[in-house]
Amino acid sequence: MERKTILSLIIILMFAALLTGLLNLDILQGAKFRKLSDSNSIRLIPQFGSRGNILDRNGEVIINNRISYDVMILPQELNRLDQLLIRLSRILGVELAELKASFKKNFISSSVPVTVIRNINVNKAILIGEYRAEEPSVIITPKPLRSYPYGALASHVAGYINQIDRWRLTKLEDYGYKTKDIVGFGGVEEKYDYYLRQEEGGISVEVNHRGKFTRILGFQAPRNGKDVQLTVDLKIQKIVEDCMNGRRGSAILMDPRDGQILAMASYPNFNPSVFVNNRSSLISGLFNNPAAPLFNRAISSSYPPASVFKIVVSSAALELKKINLSTSFLCQGSTMVGARRFSCWDTHGSQDILGAIAHSCDIFFYKSGLLTGAQNIHDYALKLGLARNVGFELPYETGGFIPSPLWRKINKFQSWFDGDTANLAIGQGDCLVTPLQAANMMAVFANGGYLTSPYIVKAVGGLDVSAKKKKLIPVNLKKSTLDTVAKGLRKVVSDEKGTGNALSSLAVPVAGKTGTAQVSRGANHAWFAGFFPFDKPKFVICIFLENGVSGHAASIVAKKIIEAMNNQGLI
Amino acid sequence: MNKSFFRILILALIIATLGVLSIYSSTYQKQGAWQDIYLRQMLWLIIGLVCFFLISGFNYRKLWDANYFIYGAALFFLFLVFMLGIVRLGAQRWLRFAGFNFQPSEFAKLAIIIFLARYFSRKSVNDTSLMSGKFGIFQGIILPLIFVSIPMLLIIDQPDLGSGLMLMLVFICLLYLTDVRLRYIFILISALALPLPFLWNFLHDYQKQRLLVFLNPNIDPLGAGYTIIQSRIAIGSGGFFGRGWLSGTQSQLYFLPESHTDFIFATFSEQWGFFGSCLLILMYYLIIRQGLVIAQRTQDAFGRLLAYGISLLLAIQVFINIAMNMGLAPVVGLPLPLMSYGGSSMLVTFIALGILVNIDRTRNVF
Repeated sequence: MERKTILSLIIILMFAALLTGLLNLDILQGAKFRKLSDSNSIRLIPQFGSRGNILDRNGEVIINNRISYDVMILPQELNRLDQLLIRLSRILGVELAELKASFKKNFISSSVPVTVIRNINVNKAILIGEYRAEEPSVIITPKPLRSYPYGALASHVAGYINQIDRWRLTKLEDYGYKTKDIVGFGGVEEKYDYYLRQEEGGISVEVNHRGKFTRILGFQAPRNGKDVQLTVDLKIQKIVEDCMNGRRGSAILMDPRDGQILAMASYPNFNPSVFVNNRSSLISGLFNNPAAPLFNRAISSSYPPASVFKIVVSSAALELKKINLSTSFLCQGSTMVGARRFSCWDTHGSQDILGAIAHSCDIFFYKSGLLTGAQNIHDYALKLGLARNVGFELPYETGGFIPSPLWRKINKFQSWFDGDTANLAIGQGDCLVTPLQAANMMAVFANGGYLTSPYIVKAVGGLDVSAKKKKLIPVNLKKSTLDTVAKGLRKVVSDEKGTGNALSSLAVPVAGKTGTAQVSRGANHAWFAGFFPFDKPKFVICIFLENGVSGHAASIVAKKIIEAMNNQGLI
Repeated sequence: MNKSFFRILILALIIATLGVLSIYSSTYQKQGAWQDIYLRQMLWLIIGLVCFFLISGFNYRKLWDANYFIYGAALFFLFLVFMLGIVRLGAQRWLRFAGFNFQPSEFAKLAIIIFLARYFSRKSVNDTSLMSGKFGIFQGIILPLIFVSIPMLLIIDQPDLGSGLMLMLVFICLLYLTDVRLRYIFILISALALPLPFLWNFLHDYQKQRLLVFLNPNIDPLGAGYTIIQSRIAIGSGGFFGRGWLSGTQSQLYFLPESHTDFIFATFSEQWGFFGSCLLILMYYLIIRQGLVIAQRTQDAFGRLLAYGISLLLAIQVFINIAMNMGLAPVVGLPLPLMSYGGSSMLVTFIALGILVNIDRTRNVF
């Protein structure tokens, strides 16, 4: 080929190479370059919505938000940045070194605004707002912070909020959760976090190569989270917390007709605002405290039910016709079960079932229990909602435990003896019951034989969700059984020698059962579970005092609560 | 006026107008002195067109006679730059004259081509065949090399490595087109290639950086690599149809340096996309092809070599500049003819195109 032809060919190839290069950049990699070009010149300034409020059943605020102001800077070239920080330090009255350090610490990338100082005084925020007119790269971001106007009230029901941890993040990534998101822990904040969560909005602005703001490109409004309305009554909650007065244990007030929780308290409690204010020493104090203040003792702890369990035995015995209204046993302070002596806390003489419940006679129940048989007791315990989770909305509920001969055999390879039945009959031994289960069990006798499905959230974002939650599960107990036990529970209070007699002075007729659970170490636990007003029960109450010494103490607390409620016309 | 005149005129005018539009769009939002640049470019365009018309009527054979004068003048001005020059962006390439900057290296390119065209189209007195076929290595390679090297080295010293190396490339290509024996050309190429690694040390630091960064722009993304990265982003973000005139964020927001000079192609490409850029490349190719066609149908050896030389000049500059914009060649500071802002380049290009047209016109000469 001639030289000139070769040259022409080479020139054609050169231009073809250029076209190929163009093809590569524009078509094959075009999207990637478009993205890079945009990220060069576009910055996103986030704007925050506020988390949903937590309201009580009447719409009163329990937990809401308050506005705090953060100062953010769009990253730009170094000498302008220095000038900016100097101006800011003068306006804010903060050391320049501190601003510089916080800029460095919070710097993520040159395309993300950097927070230099959080939660400034609103007057300073206004001053900086004025400065913005000449320096649009400075941004005041209003940031809603969780606010707790009642401090530690209902802290376990609500829970606290904090930055998301890794474990949760891996599970929730697909639902739009990102690192550094604030999520709820424990209580309603955790269970309903998806609804309470706010959505970030923002402004997108254009910057030049020096990071200097040139113009606004677009805006998306942030969205507030949905409010969650609880079934809790703020007034009743306040009364309950006042009367518990910081004593270790828990208190529950529930409506037996549909399972709404009107108040739930657990002690020791905590003030959730330490997490908002990031008081790290206090926070670690909470986590390291052996008394476990973050634990909701109403649902997450289980204890031996003691005499409260006698209700189960009564129901089982009556239902299975092992005893009837006229059956009576003689209590002389102790009895022999097998080769061992089992004692009663007092000498009661001869009693029928009503008296036995009222005076909490152990002998009667040893005998009834032995007649009924441990497996039957176990089965009726399950019927009354024990030994399994109630299925409550708040997280970390535990299911308690009721032993049975079968369980013993399978798990411990031991036989079941009569002594075990006797222990079971008075609610000692391996039985464990949570205060919520006790309350639910009480509800059966308050509402005519139905197990409720307790719930605590009434509405989300204005939409009533309670209809789905009201579940009444019939318990197959004969009306006579229910009546008898209910009468016995009433007698606990009305009878002079009833263990709950302290409550008789109230204007409201109360029925219930005390319990004193023996523990291997320390003082006994104290139970009181009951319902009122007896004629038409509207409330179930369950008080549990850890190491409260005797059931009497729990009944006193219950008395205080009911009295206060009556005075405030809440009954 | 023959067809090639109109073809070249129209194509060059379109390209130059696109250049003005691109310069306008990349500078209209910037403050201060930037505002006038597109107006200046339009001025140069008009002057260029005038020169084009004039030169196309000017018998190119007169260049044969004026050769030594032209060559000498080019050398003189290059020396002047060497001595006096004003410092701009670290390079002494301009001479300030009557309020305008003019770049002698651009004129020198044309001068060297004219020189080479004459040198290799000398005919022997005995017969009318070209002497170049009988050149030995001295006459064929070494002597012209000396004549090319002097201005080339002055240019490289400015420092303008790009133009200098481009000259060498044009020289080799022209050599290829003459009747000089291939053997000699290979010797020349090897002689040039061998000391290259050694010559690395003579490079300025920034030139070394540019070569390293050409191989991998990400080793210095905010320094030497910045330009290549931003240029590729600008071109790539155009997509198929481009972002639209006046909507090029890379060029308007200062992300792309030299967006009105060496990287004008990227500026154009960001706005007009694959579609527009292909058309632009096509137009350049058509001009060059026209030049090659003119060269091939010219019977006069001088005219032929001159036409080839001018076509090569355009082709190589266009190729290197666009390749540089795309990251396919190291950044060497070569302007894009007809589009880059710069009076000297625009003038020289139009003069060269005028000569091309004239060659085509006065074909029948013996």
